[in-house]
Amino acid sequence: MNEARLRELLREVAVPGEERAEQRGLALVEAAFAERAAEAGAQGAAPRRRPVSLPRLAIALALVTLLAALLLSPAGANVRDWVGEVFTSAPKPGPGLAEIPGGGRLLVESAEGPWVVQPDGSRRLLGAYREATWSPRGLFVAAVAGDTLTAVEPDGTPRWSLSGGGPVADPRWSPSGYRIAYRSGGQLRVTAADGTGDRLIDGGVAPVAPTWAPSGLHQLAYVDAGGELRLADTESGRSVGAGIAPPGLIALEWAGDWILQASPTTLGLRPIRRTKLAIAPGVGTARIGLELPPGSEVLDAAFAPDGSRVAAAVRLTRGGRERSAVLLYALDKNAAPRRLLTLPGRLPELTWAPDSQRLLVAWPSADQWLFLPIGGPGRPRALSGIAAAFAPGQAAAPFPRLEGWCCHAR
Amino acid sequence: MRAERGAVEGTEWPGPLPAGRERSLVRAAQGGSAAALGELYRAHWRRAHRAAYLIVHDAAAAEDVAQDAFLAAVDALDRFDRRRPFAPWLHRIVANRAIDWARREALRRRVDGEAEPSPGGAPEGLGEDVMAALAELPAEQRAVVVLRYLLEYTPGEIATMLELPRGTVNSRLRRALDSLGTRLGAER
Repeated sequence: MNEARLRELLREVAVPGEERAEQRGLALVEAAFAERAAEAGAQGAAPRRRPVSLPRLAIALALVTLLAALLLSPAGANVRDWVGEVFTSAPKPGPGLAEIPGGGRLLVESAEGPWVVQPDGSRRLLGAYREATWSPRGLFVAAVAGDTLTAVEPDGTPRWSLSGGGPVADPRWSPSGYRIAYRSGGQLRVTAADGTGDRLIDGGVAPVAPTWAPSGLHQLAYVDAGGELRLADTESGRSVGAGIAPPGLIALEWAGDWILQASPTTLGLRPIRRTKLAIAPGVGTARIGLELPPGSEVLDAAFAPDGSRVAAAVRLTRGGRERSAVLLYALDKNAAPRRLLTLPGRLPELTWAPDSQRLLVAWPSADQWLFLPIGGPGRPRALSGIAAAFAPGQAAAPFPRLEGWCCHAR
Repeated sequence: MRAERGAVEGTEWPGPLPAGRERSLVRAAQGGSAAALGELYRAHWRRAHRAAYLIVHDAAAAEDVAQDAFLAAVDALDRFDRRRPFAPWLHRIVANRAIDWARREALRRRVDGEAEPSPGGAPEGLGEDVMAALAELPAEQRAVVVLRYLLEYTPGEIATMLELPRGTVNSRLRRALDSLGTRLGAER
């Protein structure tokens, strides 16, 4: 090998996204530098080196612990070793939609619109809306009708409406309760929870639902039209971080200092680097890919509300008959994935109970909802006759979509 | 240890900062000049980012590694000795973190039993054969190749940066060159 030629070759290699990476890095470095200067100014002295802050130290320790758990777990219990199915078969279904195991209220979308299901199984159609989402305490529901975003009370009483410049989609109420993010046409917008102060956050975004920071700060993660994961401070409108996102994302969820990224072929956690002025995806190069069964397709994935676990529904492509499985990834001392259940057909959606103790899995081919206890008391439960429950009088109703589980589970 | 010796003719890399200019930029940044920091960043980012990419072979990870190195630089700016060149200090962080990442990734893949698709996408087009050849090397060998032939440090300097005996650096370079020569062809 000619050394001069090797030099040339190394400098000719095309680095994917080189220019954008440089821009993202500069924004992050400038923000960190501004923070340093602000701290120095507050101390009335020349800029000094900051000691490692406890949150950053805690993040680093958490990363180390998580990585150690992921990578150094005993070989017999490592990520190759599916622990065996926690539930060996689907529970025997109860007759019809009755009491919700674990309590709380569900938001469900049928062809007629969104329904609120009360803990006793009674239900009410909210109106001719779609894509409904709970406010954090379940006092309101935000929903979409064409170009309009509407807030309604759980009994269906409209509170306000806001018309956008294009079809509205993916409303998401902030954990603080004070903001709603939504897509309108190709834009990402945020409005106050009373429908005032609507503002543009990004003029070009991908068709992926945004996700709010769980901290209550008005920080939003989303995927822009160029396929980059971006973090924005919605109060200032400032971009506070950006990074590469896997192509074809189907779900983006933010819990703790992690962002869950799910695409049909990948499932991963992206850590958040956080300083006072800057947050950005990626720290310590500790992106974590969550193991999937070989050749499987991710259908849905969700963080538990307490951020301790990730659940995923995957379609298994090996073997002749279509099967799907529910996988659970615990993000504490034992990060080995567990296969909770494997069933024939597709399991297109799952949602967590607000107390993170149960998982609701939609099983359309059996016309059932499955309630799986996760780390808490109770046994698996199944409710049948779901499609007909949301299409009274119809002979062949489509299976409804799960939109959320809220809020006062017992 | 000296600063980078500059870009090869024909590349679009910014040339290395003259030592005096770099010292004055570091001094200005230590005094709070964001413009000076920006100039330092622009002078060094592309080499650092490319070096990381050639070691980790993952665009997102390379970006993380380079960002981390620059954030570490911002964090340690006040302690930085202006008499010393900035680049070797930055590249030391990049190389070591990139090696750490590549080792973890290799371990994870062994545990998983299969390769994980890279979110950054597989390298395509220009340099694909080089990347494929580099991928055959252990991360430790990739790092010494990158430090030697991309960033142009001497084996002695590389030994200091990676805290290795110089003989180990030389043997890794030799093995790496043999492997790359076989893979890329003697005509190169």
